[in-house]
Amino acid sequence: MSIRLQHIKDHILAANQCAEMSSPPYSPLTTHVLNTGRGIPAASMVISLHLRNHTAASWTLLRTGATNDDGRCPGLITREAFVPGVYKMRFETGRYWEALGETCFYPYVEIVFTITDAAQKFHVPLLLSRFSYSTYRGS
Amino acid sequence: MFNNLMHTSCLHIISCVADHSMTTSKTGSLLTTHVLNTADGVPGARMALSLHRLDPQMALWNLVSKGTTDEDGQCSDLISRDEFTAGMYKLRFETRQYWESLCQSSFYPYIEIVFTITDLDQTFHLPLLLSRYSYSTYKGI
Repeated sequence: MSIRLQHIKDHILAANQCAEMSSPPYSPLTTHVLNTGRGIPAASMVISLHLRNHTAASWTLLRTGATNDDGRCPGLITREAFVPGVYKMRFETGRYWEALGETCFYPYVEIVFTITDAAQKFHVPLLLSRFSYSTYRGS
Repeated sequence: MFNNLMHTSCLHIISCVADHSMTTSKTGSLLTTHVLNTADGVPGARMALSLHRLDPQMALWNLVSKGTTDEDGQCSDLISRDEFTAGMYKLRFETRQYWESLCQSSFYPYIEIVFTITDLDQTFHLPLLLSRYSYSTYKGI
């Protein structure tokens, strides 16, 4: 291969590596937390994902993380780990508002949902103020 | 005549106070909820729910009361004045059962709204606006 073609090939490989590094890890389950009181993403909110253990009637912690500056938390779960079952996403809302110097009526928010078709993509956002919140199933 | 007038006035005052007391005890419940089925545009009637208080020492939830929403989707008298202490509470709504009774499935098998009570002089109205794939709540009075 000519030197010029080798340079082009190396450049393409490097570009692909950069793309892999910058793109967030894929997750079939995503969330997005919005602070509707201030009209901004809710950044740095601690969240955790749990799967209900049917036999023990308890919860297994799958992942903990914190929302980024856009209020999202990429890479919650892998496609392989995402199986049908009852999940719970917990948002540490009290701590979030405390970090902003305010109180919140809700010390935490837990959204419990059932996954029957794990081949789909699920988006479980939280729109939150100090005295209200809402959620919906998106994709 | 003066005595009759006083007698009538006293009876009127007593009647007003009694009416106010009855009105307060009915509409002035300390903690109420209202479930609305926003998908069908109807009250969320006959939904089972329960109120729990957190025991911080034991880190356990204690059942305070159980109830069912009426035909208007409302449920009041969940807690008495004596029981109403500052702390962390949760209202649990049996949403899967509700949607099953309508022959439908729901994304949410149940909904728990956890909240903190610090000011016992207020009344708290915690509605739940619900569809099969979404819900919202807010603190009202």
